[in-house]
Amino acid sequence: MVASLRRGLAVTAVSALAIAPLAAQLASPRSIPATYAITNVRLVPVSSPSIEKGTIVVRDGLISALGANITIPGDARVIDGSGLTVYPGLIDAYGSLGVPNAPAQGAGGGGRGGGGGGGGPSATPARSAPNSNYPAGLQPEMSVVELLKADDDAFSGPTSAGITTALSGSGSGIFQGQSAVINLAGADANALVVKAGVAQNIGFSPLRNGGFPSSLMGVFAALRQQLLDAQHYRDVKTAYDRNPRGMKRPEFDPSLEALQPVLARTQPVILYASTQREIERALDLAKEFSLRPIIAGGGEAYLVAARLKAENVPVLLTLNFPRRTAAPSADADPDPIRVLKERVEAPRGAGRLAQAGVKFAFQSGGLSTWTDFTGNVQRAVENGLSSDAALKALTMQSAEILGVGDRLGSLEAGKIANLTITRGDLLDRGRVTQLFIDGKPVAVRAQAASATGGAATATGTWTVTVTMDGTDLATTLSLRQEGTRLLGSLQGSLGSVEIQNGTIGTDGELRFTATVTLKQGTDEATFIGTLDGNAVRGRIAMVGHAPGTFSGTRPQRAGGPPNGSATGSATGSATGNAPGAAAGTVPRTPPGAR
Amino acid sequence: MKKTLLLAAALMAAAGALGAQAKAVATGPGATLIKNATVLTVTKGTLQNTDVLIQNGKIAQVGQNIAAPAGATVIDATGKFLMPGIIDPHTHLMSDAVNEGSLSVTSMVRIEDVLNPTAVNIYRELAGGVTTVTILHGSANTIGGQNATVKLKYGADAADMLFPGAPPTLKFALGENVTRKNQNQIIIPGQPITRRYPVSRMGQEEVLRDAFTRARDYKATIDEYKARVAKGEKNLVPPRRDLELEPLVEVLEGKRLARVHGYRADEMLMMLNLADDFGFKVKALEHGLEGYKIASEIAKHGADVTSFADSWSYKIEAYDAIPYNAAILMRHGVVTTLNSDSDERGRRLNIDAAKLMRYGGLTEDEALATITINGAKTLGVQDKVGSIEVGKDADLSLWNNHPLSVYANVDKTFVDGKVFFDRQLDIAQRDQKAKERAELEKADANQAPSNRRAVQPVLPQEER
Repeated sequence: MVASLRRGLAVTAVSALAIAPLAAQLASPRSIPATYAITNVRLVPVSSPSIEKGTIVVRDGLISALGANITIPGDARVIDGSGLTVYPGLIDAYGSLGVPNAPAQGAGGGGRGGGGGGGGPSATPARSAPNSNYPAGLQPEMSVVELLKADDDAFSGPTSAGITTALSGSGSGIFQGQSAVINLAGADANALVVKAGVAQNIGFSPLRNGGFPSSLMGVFAALRQQLLDAQHYRDVKTAYDRNPRGMKRPEFDPSLEALQPVLARTQPVILYASTQREIERALDLAKEFSLRPIIAGGGEAYLVAARLKAENVPVLLTLNFPRRTAAPSADADPDPIRVLKERVEAPRGAGRLAQAGVKFAFQSGGLSTWTDFTGNVQRAVENGLSSDAALKALTMQSAEILGVGDRLGSLEAGKIANLTITRGDLLDRGRVTQLFIDGKPVAVRAQAASATGGAATATGTWTVTVTMDGTDLATTLSLRQEGTRLLGSLQGSLGSVEIQNGTIGTDGELRFTATVTLKQGTDEATFIGTLDGNAVRGRIAMVGHAPGTFSGTRPQRAGGPPNGSATGSATGSATGNAPGAAAGTVPRTPPGAR
Repeated sequence: MKKTLLLAAALMAAAGALGAQAKAVATGPGATLIKNATVLTVTKGTLQNTDVLIQNGKIAQVGQNIAAPAGATVIDATGKFLMPGIIDPHTHLMSDAVNEGSLSVTSMVRIEDVLNPTAVNIYRELAGGVTTVTILHGSANTIGGQNATVKLKYGADAADMLFPGAPPTLKFALGENVTRKNQNQIIIPGQPITRRYPVSRMGQEEVLRDAFTRARDYKATIDEYKARVAKGEKNLVPPRRDLELEPLVEVLEGKRLARVHGYRADEMLMMLNLADDFGFKVKALEHGLEGYKIASEIAKHGADVTSFADSWSYKIEAYDAIPYNAAILMRHGVVTTLNSDSDERGRRLNIDAAKLMRYGGLTEDEALATITINGAKTLGVQDKVGSIEVGKDADLSLWNNHPLSVYANVDKTFVDGKVFFDRQLDIAQRDQKAKERAELEKADANQAPSNRRAVQPVLPQEER
């Protein structure tokens, strides 16, 4: 059989060391050779036609040569790549890879850090710029490079999917700070960074700490005011710089300072927006302030394709295609046709964007398993996207959208040697066998590849009892977790509504709002609770009502028989031993107690 | 009783299923002639055996034996009742957010930013004959946000649903909902507990006076800048724009209408006096359940009231509510409307209007006015909608029975002359929708995980 890549490395290690340049030895304390030649390999440069049998040479972290007839340098470790294919390293064009999920240890006083028990402290990490005039979450001066950690374990999932490079942002807040393109291997955090300050990432989830803005409309008001303030800051500073004498010095503001490249359009904004109306709102905001927008998420971007094309807005398209996550509950209203359709249409989105001429790149979008990354690209290809376009959306086009097309995204001499090596075609059930990142081999680990890393997952259908104003109301809560984002709907006695502003922490603390209909009318309720295995409980705040509670269970998970399916729906079992009723026995905390 | 409820639920579900179809429904030719209807004009009495011609989205002609223009759609409305589209001046329909309750003054937030034009309840309101609504910010804080007045053109983009030329409005709230925000405060572990000021009605007045005083100062700054620019001064930096105070300045200038949530007589009087002090008019008191106690004072100020027909005792400040409230206010010359404040009640405002005849003895036209022309006045769009008059927008609802009867159902609802709800079409499409659903349910993405065809994950493996 063909000699394995890994074995190849071991065989030639000694000879390569002997002639490795001094610089490379210094740079590689563990004596990893700096020059490799992969021979007899299929090359897919993306920027030029494929070469069925050729050689690619990697030297000092860069691609130094590739082609059918390449002279192998004497110092190179030679790897026989027979049966393998080399692609440019895949890029996950949006996310927070490299940013540790756990609350930052050093940040804030965090006096309750050692608290015991299951329901420990659950505050979101206090990532705050020390001298900001704005609260955490509205600090555009934050930069993800301050938060990165070179953590091989955290990268093993994405690298197993062939990803060598990612756009990483802080992932929390509204002005989330400046994102960076990073490589998924490096000696330390700074070695990961390919390019910092790539974009200002913007999210539209309200702040979770009870302060302003606590609603979606508040988010827009806050964004608008801060952008206006940045314009004003610019104008005052310009006037002062023109003639400082006799004019009071404008006070330095790091947040407004950081927005200047955004206003000047030298730095794009990446706006997280999934549904049609979210995308339209984001585009409206960008237009209002003449920003340079990139849409991230974009699940329904194909519905806005004409506008995206006309305004030349690229999309970082999620590969986390929605699908039914649990058997429908017998008590719940059926899913609206719109939702059923959305699930069917999702894999067709990429093909439609390509057809409309919208520039897009793929991103993992909080997939729960990394094996779905290329798997879902394949589904997009089965649903109308050409293989070429798919490959570009994983490599070159991603690099171009993220402003690193001059150094990444294709196999070209002089570019960074990020390589994804597969056995078989990447888009036809090929298997990733090996990566090179910054010219160094990175082993691909076999693993279950869970993207959420064991954090609590809320996805599923929950039978929930809501107690408001002394009345118990049964409802079904369907949840879908995407990273820290929580989507879904409420169906039952509170009406049938989508939940809004849903977030969930790694500790299972969840929060969302929903516009519910009670006897007295329709109003917004805020749910805050904790998820523990298959149980959820928490409190509800609603204007004009005493605080309520909710508790529920997830009866159908891991293939267990659906509760009550044997008795059917006509027996009125909802008032009997249904899970919701059992959950109602949870002792209610008196409202005045806190 | 239970059976009725189940039936109602089934109908609602069916309406939900059909919602997606509305875009196709809402296309129509330029002209429509509705023939031989009983026309409830609301402002000009009831006309028997009358035709109404719709052209270019407007009511072009009302009379008998109108000839259909070439190409016009003719609807035989014999035995049917045509009334103006219902106006719901206070709802939280189609909004992805209701309250920005973090601060006591959040005049910078706009409902317009968070409209959801795909909300299925829009279709359900159309099925109840509603054509225009104002979507208000909630009542969690003293000064809420900027409301949005929309026409229910289901299927259109949010921007296209905004009522052209409707005056901008701002929500204020008094009483329990504001003070109880503190009681409702959710304690977030690890976060400091913040009690939002104010916790009393006294405090609410102070918050209002403070905000309007700040707005007055802000206006002075802007005016001074404008005066200096007008005088020809060069190189001036414009003052910082303040999105919180801008809408309050507009209220002071009468360019933005104040919509004030209030239940109790004392708090509403306070607001009217405060408005007099600052020289603006309260456009409408929202709910105004104790309005009957101060009907003369409300009439003197010139405020409207948007009331409930018969809701009371669901909280302390609602204990003195009576079903005669709207009638008493109207007899004192107050422009009074009904509001739903509810996606569910919004579908049957005609029945709420009928209750005012039972409690308070309003005439048919007066009862209908509370859900049509009076609402149009409160919203400041009475020149365009609210009655069947030549030249007004063709926002109409056609009923199979007198709309003040419990047996009445909506046959068709028109907005700007186009049909946005058609009961016959809805019924006809149910089979087709059921088939579409069945097809979609078969798709792999709609299978529960246990039913899904096994997908072999491509896992990386160690080399052998």
